[in-house]
Amino acid sequence: MNNKPTLADKILPAFLGALCIVWVYPIIMILFNSLKKETAISTNTAFQLPTAESFAGLENFVNAVMSKGFIDAFVTSLIITITSVAAILLFCSMCAWYITRVENIFTKAIYFSFVFSMVVPFQMLMFTLASTSDMLKLNTPYNIWIIYLGFGAGLAVFMFTGFMKSIPLEIEEAAMIDGCNPFQTYFKVVLPILKPTMISVGILETMWVWNDYLLPYLVLDRKKYSTVPILIQYFKGSYGRVEMGPMMACIILTVLPIIIIYLFCQKHIIKGVVAGAVKG
Amino acid sequence: MVKATKKWWPVFVLPTVAAFMIGFVIPFLEGLYLSFCKFTTINKASWVGISNYVKVFQDAQFWDSLTFTASFTVVSTVLINVLAFAIALALTRGLRGTNLFRTVFFMPNLIGGIVLGYIWNILINCLLSILGQPLIALNTNAGYWGLIVLMCWQQIGYMMIIYIAGLQSIPNDYIEAARIDGATSPQILFKIKIPNVMPSITICMFLTLTNSFKLFDQNLALTGGDPNHATEMLALNIYNNFYARSGAAWKGIGQAKAVIFCIMVITISLIQLRATRSKEVQQ
Amino acid sequence: MKKLIALLLALTMVFALCACGAKEEAPAAAPAAPAEEAAAPAEEAVAGSVYYLNFKPEQDEAWQKLAAEYTAETGVPVTVLTAASGTYEETLMAEMGKTEAPTMFQVNGPVGLANWKDYCYDLSGSELYSHLTSDSFALTEDGAVYGIAYVIESYGIIANKALLAEAGYAAEDINSFETLKAVAEDITARSAELGFAAFSSAGMDSSSDWRFKTHLANLPIYFEYQADGIGTTTEIKGDYLDNYRQIWDLYINNSTCAPAELSAKTGDDSRNEFLNGEAVFFQNGSWEYGSLSAVYADEDLVMLPIYIGAGDEANQGLCTGTENYWCVNADASEEDIAATLEFMNWCVTEGADSMANDMGFVIPFDTAVESPNLFVKQDVAYTAEGKTPVSWNFPTMPSEEWKNVVGSALTAYAADQTDANWDAVVTAFVDGWASEYALLG
Repeated sequence: MNNKPTLADKILPAFLGALCIVWVYPIIMILFNSLKKETAISTNTAFQLPTAESFAGLENFVNAVMSKGFIDAFVTSLIITITSVAAILLFCSMCAWYITRVENIFTKAIYFSFVFSMVVPFQMLMFTLASTSDMLKLNTPYNIWIIYLGFGAGLAVFMFTGFMKSIPLEIEEAAMIDGCNPFQTYFKVVLPILKPTMISVGILETMWVWNDYLLPYLVLDRKKYSTVPILIQYFKGSYGRVEMGPMMACIILTVLPIIIIYLFCQKHIIKGVVAGAVKG
Repeated sequence: MVKATKKWWPVFVLPTVAAFMIGFVIPFLEGLYLSFCKFTTINKASWVGISNYVKVFQDAQFWDSLTFTASFTVVSTVLINVLAFAIALALTRGLRGTNLFRTVFFMPNLIGGIVLGYIWNILINCLLSILGQPLIALNTNAGYWGLIVLMCWQQIGYMMIIYIAGLQSIPNDYIEAARIDGATSPQILFKIKIPNVMPSITICMFLTLTNSFKLFDQNLALTGGDPNHATEMLALNIYNNFYARSGAAWKGIGQAKAVIFCIMVITISLIQLRATRSKEVQQ
Repeated sequence: MKKLIALLLALTMVFALCACGAKEEAPAAAPAAPAEEAAAPAEEAVAGSVYYLNFKPEQDEAWQKLAAEYTAETGVPVTVLTAASGTYEETLMAEMGKTEAPTMFQVNGPVGLANWKDYCYDLSGSELYSHLTSDSFALTEDGAVYGIAYVIESYGIIANKALLAEAGYAAEDINSFETLKAVAEDITARSAELGFAAFSSAGMDSSSDWRFKTHLANLPIYFEYQADGIGTTTEIKGDYLDNYRQIWDLYINNSTCAPAELSAKTGDDSRNEFLNGEAVFFQNGSWEYGSLSAVYADEDLVMLPIYIGAGDEANQGLCTGTENYWCVNADASEEDIAATLEFMNWCVTEGADSMANDMGFVIPFDTAVESPNLFVKQDVAYTAEGKTPVSWNFPTMPSEEWKNVVGSALTAYAADQTDANWDAVVTAFVDGWASEYALLG
């Protein structure tokens, strides 16, 4: 870009800077209010900074962590996300490799069912999925990944096959000639090449599973487990009150790790999103 | 090689397909079947034919939520794409701080719908209270625009990233050549940039369209459908039919609505697929 | 090229390791699930277990405690899950679809029973039923007993006597709608000087709106039923809706906050206002005694009938009745049903003390322990004076949906008190009643 700076180039940064402040404001506002005392949180003073009088320190955070089950919910969410994303990455990439390499009517049928499943809205199967998973006892954080693998397979297989088509066959053939069976070939040759796609798919699936509300809400054994989104939703109307302080503290505690991870892995995340979108 | 691989299907395909059966195929077919039934729990379903579908079309709330959803989808799709494209244009000018801006604008996308909904619920209620307006639970307009602002906040960053990728892939020579020929900025924008990012535009249109149409979490957390179902979108309406309405009849109606909803989403997707295909041919 | 191969090999090793880890984990997890599945029924087969889906968030802690006591005593596992306020039906729907469905749940009366009858176990042979003091507390149909009421409650306008005296009145001064209105409006006129308002906020958040869309709405229904000599109807006429408007106007215009802000006020807000002495009156019921008695002595509190300017006000008592009927899931395993019946019976016998003192319940069983609940005592006293309790007719409301629509209309009217907005309440009340009943049939 070697054109001279125009007026727009001078105003734009200021404008975008202002827009940035607007963009982060909602989170900053929740942060300030989560530092206020429960009694000081009201709709009229929400835009003010905490004063010496209304400042509650970390009281709300302590309350959220100690008595509202935040840690349990956080751990549950973490277990679900890690197991589900790992399972999706491993099994879907294997499946995608097989159906691109072995082309027959079955693999075609499987592929098209996967693509079809990407479009179907969750409401279509929420009720029956809840009962199926309950019947099979897939209602704990340790095995709910099977449901996520099944319901999330569409996008992952689709993205993996899109990429596999571009891998030259020669490398794999060479490995086979060297005496590798398909299993070895896959893990030794194909998987390493897949790494960038793995990261893209992993990021997209992590964003989905971590933030998902309705599926775990309907599928998980509610007597024992809740995830972070379920916990936050439960703040409203449970026990006849809305405890704004701890609720806002929970929101901040949920958002903060995401933002930190994002700031560190920004490059990968943005690349992953672009790759996902272009293929999707 | 294909022959050798073929025998290995139990290792490669079976786990995913088995999970797919449990997590998608069986519930999907069961759901299709149940849309013709009256039931409270699955083991006590009785066949009622198409009467559920008849009741769906007689249900005023279904039409209200469909209109609301359609209007919301159109407005949010247009707004998000126009704004995201504008910001993408600004961020491809090589300004200082571009990276920071990009980071900030993309951030809300990583936050889940429920959390987003509550953040904006609090913010909008505070704003309304200071303006002396009825709060969001009472205020259909605030609910509608609140949802749109929320969706913009969440989605603009994502679409912006895609547009930036699209804009950056335009060879610089095109633009240089046009400049030398004396093209004005608007001409460059409409004659060169927009035609060349058409694939990105299709993708973004499709993503925002389906995201808005299928919106649930944000709707639940921000307005919950208040006041009196006026801001209830289709997905939430189906959920409420299933779980919030008593009476065996409603679950069948909810399932029938879900099937109709599903058909609508598939239709939108097919139109999109055709649009992308025709674009691919051109290039 | 060599470098590339080396890099590839290194990557392969890492991935092979990861893959091994993942591979081992996957088959290990798969058999674990069936093992668990096998273990769970085996355990149940021995003793049976209880899963109680509790309706009352206020009593959640007390129930958890009672359940733990029972488990400690008998070894039978009891799980109590409390649905968030306003989501009982939703939670019940979701939970009943599961294999580990609640063994013990509740319905609110005949209308609720109609939805769940297929899932209700006949309790006529149970020991619990034999303790029931009157058949009017059971939900019976064709000789079968599907539900048994476990608590009798009263509600009215709770008043802070000390504040009332400060304003120059006594509880006895209020014996009709006219006197209530005069007192409330006088307090509002002098609120700046007195430092408190007449009514605590009539919050329409879901944690509080049932006080008005359900409990307050009972009164116009009750008087209509009385006038017509009926106990339920599929077509309400709304003869007393003008009275409903009067009392609602009084609540919202003599309150701690502006009517437009009511939509976001919660049950807690309202209670806290009353506890902090910001309001004299608080419409609620005997279940609130626990939280109120923590701050106020019995002498400071009184529950007044809700006068709406209809019927014989001189002889009107508190609103007393029940909408809480226990049911046992007929689809549960035999062991679980047996365990549940035993648990229920234990609650009203051994647990009677806890139900009276910890939960503040009056239970309609011959094993009942006298409750220390002031409001319950007042209800008894009113009846002894010859006043007629107002019965609970809201279990005849056609659906949750009906209540929600009326609630929304009330909230909208509160924010903008025009005749047109009140007409919307009337439409929701009368037309909604008929259309919702039509859907049920």
